[in-house]
Amino acid sequence: MASTNPPTEYITLVSSDDYSFVIRRSAACISPAIKRMLDPANGFIESQTNTCRLDNINGLVLEKVCEYLYYNEKHKDAKDVADMDLPMELVLELLMAADYLNGMFCI
Amino acid sequence: MSGRRGGNRIRGPQSALTDFLAANNISAAQIRDEYERRRQAADQDGNAGEGASGATPPDVDEEEIAVAIAAEVAEEEEKAEKSKKRKRKTDEAVEKVKKEKAKKAKKSKKKKDDSDDESEYDDGLGKDMYKKSRPAPGQLEHCDVCNKRFTVTPYSKEGPDGGLLCTPCGKELAKDVKAEKKAASKPAGRKRRKVESDRLDGIATGGAKSLQQLCIAKVAQHHDDVDEFGDMPQPVLERLSEIFSKKRVLKPKTLPLFLRPDLDAVMIHDAAYLEEEDYEKMFATVPKMEKLVLSNACQLKDPAIDYLLDKCQAIRHIHLYAANLVSDGMWYRLFREAGPNLEVLKLKWLDATFDDLVVKDLAKHAPNLRRLKFKLCRKIGEGAVKAITNMQKLEHLSLMMNKEVSTPALVNLVTKRGPQLRTLSLEKFLDADDSVVEAIKTSCQQLTKLRISENDTISDASYEALFTEWTNPPLTFVDFNSTRDVDNNNPVGPDDAIGMASAGFKALMAHSGSSLRNVDIASCRHIELPAFMDVFNGAMSYPELEYINVSFCNKVDNSVIAGIFKSCPNLKKLVAFGCFDVLDVVVPRNIALIGVPKAQDAIEQFGVGIGVDEALSRMLEVGA
Repeated sequence: MASTNPPTEYITLVSSDDYSFVIRRSAACISPAIKRMLDPANGFIESQTNTCRLDNINGLVLEKVCEYLYYNEKHKDAKDVADMDLPMELVLELLMAADYLNGMFCI
Repeated sequence: MSGRRGGNRIRGPQSALTDFLAANNISAAQIRDEYERRRQAADQDGNAGEGASGATPPDVDEEEIAVAIAAEVAEEEEKAEKSKKRKRKTDEAVEKVKKEKAKKAKKSKKKKDDSDDESEYDDGLGKDMYKKSRPAPGQLEHCDVCNKRFTVTPYSKEGPDGGLLCTPCGKELAKDVKAEKKAASKPAGRKRRKVESDRLDGIATGGAKSLQQLCIAKVAQHHDDVDEFGDMPQPVLERLSEIFSKKRVLKPKTLPLFLRPDLDAVMIHDAAYLEEEDYEKMFATVPKMEKLVLSNACQLKDPAIDYLLDKCQAIRHIHLYAANLVSDGMWYRLFREAGPNLEVLKLKWLDATFDDLVVKDLAKHAPNLRRLKFKLCRKIGEGAVKAITNMQKLEHLSLMMNKEVSTPALVNLVTKRGPQLRTLSLEKFLDADDSVVEAIKTSCQQLTKLRISENDTISDASYEALFTEWTNPPLTFVDFNSTRDVDNNNPVGPDDAIGMASAGFKALMAHSGSSLRNVDIASCRHIELPAFMDVFNGAMSYPELEYINVSFCNKVDNSVIAGIFKSCPNLKKLVAFGCFDVLDVVVPRNIALIGVPKAQDAIEQFGVGIGVDEALSRMLEVGA
């Protein structure tokens, strides 16, 4: 029944320490990994609940990831985009998260 | 309240500073009295209302007093001690006072909210009142910073507190100011150049950078503070290593970040900073190493290779650039001991050692070699080519020789190894002629990449023949740069064109166009305009093509560029240095156009959110 619903505009990302972030689907789908999770064609449970649990990303990092996703979406067609400022202490964890959500590789 | 130590130690009106203050109509006693009075008033206020607001007396008066005190203290001590120590002591005193002042300033800023109006008013008034008038040149003056006496000149600088500075302190200050200015002005210019540089690197394709890129840049920026990368995935680690090399921060200190016992590869793209013991550390830490990449390995010496052979038995992939301190004897040993496992060998920039005999030995001891690259190895020549001819399992071959190699030897190599070859790169074989191309056509049946560059002997007709009914499947990578006739007196070349020209280019695109991803035809200047127009006519589509280099193909003009945009839906980068007929081009989204000499603006603006069709129509408007 859930799969017949039209896709919602917002989806939820849940961090390892149970923080949830509700963000626009269009932004979340910039990450191919999240996009695949949410694609009804793949039939993952995530696509029915519109919620992705990311058990290896903690709340602090996931917050930055969400910030990045919006930043990326905002600057989709812009040129000479100013770099987003990342806190030094999170950079390595963010790097791992980016690798996990792959795709932030794709420019 | 304020912890001003030694406030009551002020004594003796004879000090030079007091003299000076008096000369300038400033009396230390008066300042002190004023201060005491205000302090009492403040204390009374404070007693009335919790003492919070009155706790901060006006800054400037304090400053004045503090300076006076410092000077006095210094003077006192001066009397007692020998003049040698004077300067240091004074400096210390001034330093202390400055610190206190800074602390005060901070405090008072914090408490600004609840400090009363009067004190603020006093602040301003005090500043104006006590500002020293600038003494005339020639007069003696005490430096504001080091307190030394000096003669005032018209060029004397003003210190941070309004007083004049002696020449050395003035210089110091000027330096600071300059540095500050530099730091402030840097970003703008740097940013512009950064954008250009990113564009040339192919990073800037519009839109935001990837999160990974951002993170890696940040990590490289703070390389000093990183202790370890934890269990970073290997591809990311390799990317980090690349960026560290690029930023020139891959030093002995940062090297351990990239060494982990569980890794099977060490890739250092700029090892110039590494020293002998770093190499040993590398081989000791990563014994499971299968792949070793060291570029600019200028301090890699025999003992390190010895260590490598001892520790890393599994090595299969060796890639060394500029390892000039490795002796011939050690090369022999390396190939004898590691040879049987060796699958990939890439060597570049070897001047002093490594000759034909070593290559012969390699061929004998490394029967499993699949990929081989020798570039700019000064001592090898035809003997090496003959040795390579006997490497049975070779699939990828890349050669760039400094010595002359006869054509029959090359033909023999291509004939013998051709059937298994998947990639072939022959650079700077100036004398290779049509027979080599014929050999490629008859022998090679499974090439995906072909490079023949810097050659002025092979004719266009033979390229055309190669790509006509060649049984090899379409190539994905071709590079024919700098294959052209070179004759200053006859720039258009002979009638039967030499090098990749019109007919050859058309045949190439007809044969491989469907899967070509990378095309380099830089300096193929005999390709005529009609050939370009035929190939990139908009109706033909080259779906895979991502990179084209048409630099110095002087027939290329606007219509060709537009045709390329239209015919290559997946194009990412178009390089067109020295194409003087290309004028105002409107570049569609996601494409970077580089190098057009007469269209600087087009280089600036690229991929600005418009599609190919819109770009083309705009181009027509501009042209009309």
